[in-house]
Amino acid sequence: MINPDYKYSGTCGIQHEEPLLFEHAHDAPEALNMPGVDGDISPELAAFARKRPTNIPGLSEPETVRHFVRLSQWNHGIETGFYPLGSCTMKYNPRVNEQVVRLPGLAHIHPDQPEESVQGALELLYELQQWLGEISGLPHVTLQPAAGAHGELVGLMMIRACLDARGESNRRKVLVPDSAHGTNPASAALCGMQTVELKSGADGRIDLDELKAHLDGDTAALMMTNPNTAGAFESDIREICQLVHDAGGLVYGDGANLNALVGVARPGDMGIDCLHINVHKTFSTPHGGGGPGGGPVVVNETLAPYLPVPRIEKQGSQYKLIHHDQQSIGPVLGSAGQIGVMLRANAYISAFGREHLHKIAEDAVLNANYVLHRLKERYHVPFEGLCKHECLLTDEYQNSHGVKTLDIAKRLIDLGFHPMTVYFPLIVHGAMLIEPTETESRETLDAFCDAMLEIADQCEAGETEMLHDAPVKPFRRRLDETQAARKPVLVWQE
Amino acid sequence: MRFLPHTDTDRSAMLEAMGASSIRDLFADIPAEFQLERGSLGLEPALSEAAIVRKFTRASEKNRNATNSRYFLGGGTYHHFVPAVVDYVISRGEFLTAYTPYQPEISQGTLQALFEFQTMIARLTGMDVSNASMYEAATATAEAALMARRVTRKSRVVMAGSVNPRYRSVTANYLSRLEGEYTEVDMGGFGTDLSKVIAAIDETTACVIVQYPDFYGSVYDLAPLRAACDAAKCLMVVAFSDISAFALIESPGAMGADIAVGSGQALGIPMGFGGPHLGLFACKQKHLRQMPGRVCGLTTDVNGKRGFVLTLSTREQHIRREKATSNICSNQGLMCTAAATYMTLMGEAGLEKVARHSAAALQMLVTKLPAHVTAPLDARYNETVLSFSDQAARDRFLATARSEDIFAGIPLEQIEPGAGANHLLVATTEMVEESDIADFIAALEVAK
Repeated sequence: MINPDYKYSGTCGIQHEEPLLFEHAHDAPEALNMPGVDGDISPELAAFARKRPTNIPGLSEPETVRHFVRLSQWNHGIETGFYPLGSCTMKYNPRVNEQVVRLPGLAHIHPDQPEESVQGALELLYELQQWLGEISGLPHVTLQPAAGAHGELVGLMMIRACLDARGESNRRKVLVPDSAHGTNPASAALCGMQTVELKSGADGRIDLDELKAHLDGDTAALMMTNPNTAGAFESDIREICQLVHDAGGLVYGDGANLNALVGVARPGDMGIDCLHINVHKTFSTPHGGGGPGGGPVVVNETLAPYLPVPRIEKQGSQYKLIHHDQQSIGPVLGSAGQIGVMLRANAYISAFGREHLHKIAEDAVLNANYVLHRLKERYHVPFEGLCKHECLLTDEYQNSHGVKTLDIAKRLIDLGFHPMTVYFPLIVHGAMLIEPTETESRETLDAFCDAMLEIADQCEAGETEMLHDAPVKPFRRRLDETQAARKPVLVWQE
Repeated sequence: MRFLPHTDTDRSAMLEAMGASSIRDLFADIPAEFQLERGSLGLEPALSEAAIVRKFTRASEKNRNATNSRYFLGGGTYHHFVPAVVDYVISRGEFLTAYTPYQPEISQGTLQALFEFQTMIARLTGMDVSNASMYEAATATAEAALMARRVTRKSRVVMAGSVNPRYRSVTANYLSRLEGEYTEVDMGGFGTDLSKVIAAIDETTACVIVQYPDFYGSVYDLAPLRAACDAAKCLMVVAFSDISAFALIESPGAMGADIAVGSGQALGIPMGFGGPHLGLFACKQKHLRQMPGRVCGLTTDVNGKRGFVLTLSTREQHIRREKATSNICSNQGLMCTAAATYMTLMGEAGLEKVARHSAAALQMLVTKLPAHVTAPLDARYNETVLSFSDQAARDRFLATARSEDIFAGIPLEQIEPGAGANHLLVATTEMVEESDIADFIAALEVAK
């Protein structure tokens, strides 16, 4: 018999208080024994000696380890529990990936050492480029962008360069559906383009009439996410791309949701011209508290000449970094990219190979539809039909009991789960976007669904106060975000 | 496939529960013409875990690396010592596999580490506040230019020629699609003459960007530039490439910087062939609300206990969308945790020792140079430019050094297009030993 206190597994257990490291009440211990030259610095440099101490406290090694291990124990990670964050793709990160990127010949190499001394690293990166091209159906690839949003910016820079080369510098309008990721309009603005918002149709998809009404001779691009952020596939994709192309624009694909398609269908085949791939999501780099990630951009022939430098190319049997190219949009990062993230992606794709890659999307879509199926009677489903790798619910049924999305999310914490994505996409009120991913078992999905149903029961039973008070179990309760923003304290003052 | 927990029995049972007959029923919304046949992609066959390790080990062994060679390579990326504790801490699943801390109640570990990181970066750079964080130094420099334009409501950006050419070209690239002027000031050779930069400032200037220590390793007083910026009401942005310098020499804050940006790779992050690294961004308190990127703030919970949250999100794209001041969404959270761990372990004394050894190694190298190789004479931190009689002499030296497993430096023109091909950018860190310097000097014999 399972102990009812631990029905859903979760976050209760040993909890340590741990002061800020600045509050440890002793002087710093002796400095580490450092290697190297313990000689004199030049007298010219000595004249610039720092006059005020840095006041960086310093702890002994055992204290440092204990400090950070205790902090780590206050975190929920994918290795501690289910993390159904819609649009974020929190899947299990294979440990072998962590092992291989730490091999000295990959971790301890300098980006400017001679090419012949880094052929092994370049080979793995080139191979990844080829694979991303094949998986997306867009064969020309840059690994340089450091994140998805960075990839968006780079993609739009390429689209702009292409239009300018065609003599169409008037085209600066970017159509962005109102369901899009918030980074889309921000990326367009940074690229010197103007965003026009497209209202979604009643089914949460792009409305073809709305699209037609906004397409004109100034249109540079449509930025679309497919499957979209409501979890639905844009089934009119062929017509959408055709309309944009007929109007002289290009189609940018936000690849954040590629996890639903990988091995099953290719954006390039559908008419997308340019796509960024969140390799850290689809190909499993751990999110690390928010990063690092990687946002390679894949493009078709039309945009290929404008790829940023440096590029990784194969010439004969040698791999080269190409730093200069006439039509390139230029460098967008100080290096060739977040190489460690790319190597993990190579390892992940290697593990699936051509035989199994489609299972990523298949199991992800299976899991999302299963969760939707189990919850759809008790939580309002704004858009009917199949979902792809994430499902969208709202708090509409719970609202009449005075319970909101945020309360449901916080109650989930008490039940041992990380909440789903809340209040996104903005097109539905009280949104809850759930993305289970392919690496969760049926047992976990059932436990999560049981917890969601229990919360629905508690709403209907009028246990409103408990829901408003949640979470009560973690180390800290609801935090005052207004105070933090009104009187920002970003550094510790003794 | 061990990464996928379902058995075929699970799959069938789940499909049956939903009334679907096959998994492809769940893809009926994707037009059939776009659906691939299973296993039809042109990829390699799947590898076992053992085969993946073998494949990566073989690739790794094709590369020469800093554990089996001597490195004098810099230019923005440095081979510093990474204590074992750093990788241990960031390999903890609770740090490694957490998401951006949007749910603060169950993310206090990441948040407190970020707060500690911000505090230590502010102290080291001598600035009031720091964000957490930027991708790397070049994009951080570009973001500083954009922020200065917002703060001053002026649009012209003046860039000193002594800034790392990669920071310059990335910043120029970002600005090129926006209104406003971008001016690079040629400081001549490895020039340190700030008067040329000062002369380029006018009343439309939003900011001046200089590097300190500069791209060639030089250290010089920025006070005249600070005065000129005050007179023109523009911001002084100070970029840097090896933050360990500021444990030894005056910080950008002490030099009067309004914004300090640069690389945090020196703080416990391996070179990694260029990334992931860590961008740093710190500024004066009064400009706080124009600072891009994620920040962590102190607050209290409903029980009055101290806690931390991501804050000032009104600047961010998920609220202001097209009016957002930057599109940074993912950040380098784990790298911030690595840097916080490193700084905690080193402390003030350890950081100062790293910096002192890095600078002392350069001093030893420069004083032992033979007459046929020259280096500039003024104040240098851990990096300098060696000049040879011609390219052939330099390349003979590089080849000889390589044959002894010494990566002796970066041909300057590789980073700075247009530079003469007789120069070598050379950097030293605490990982350079006296015997390495002796071998380096001995190899210079062939450059005669």
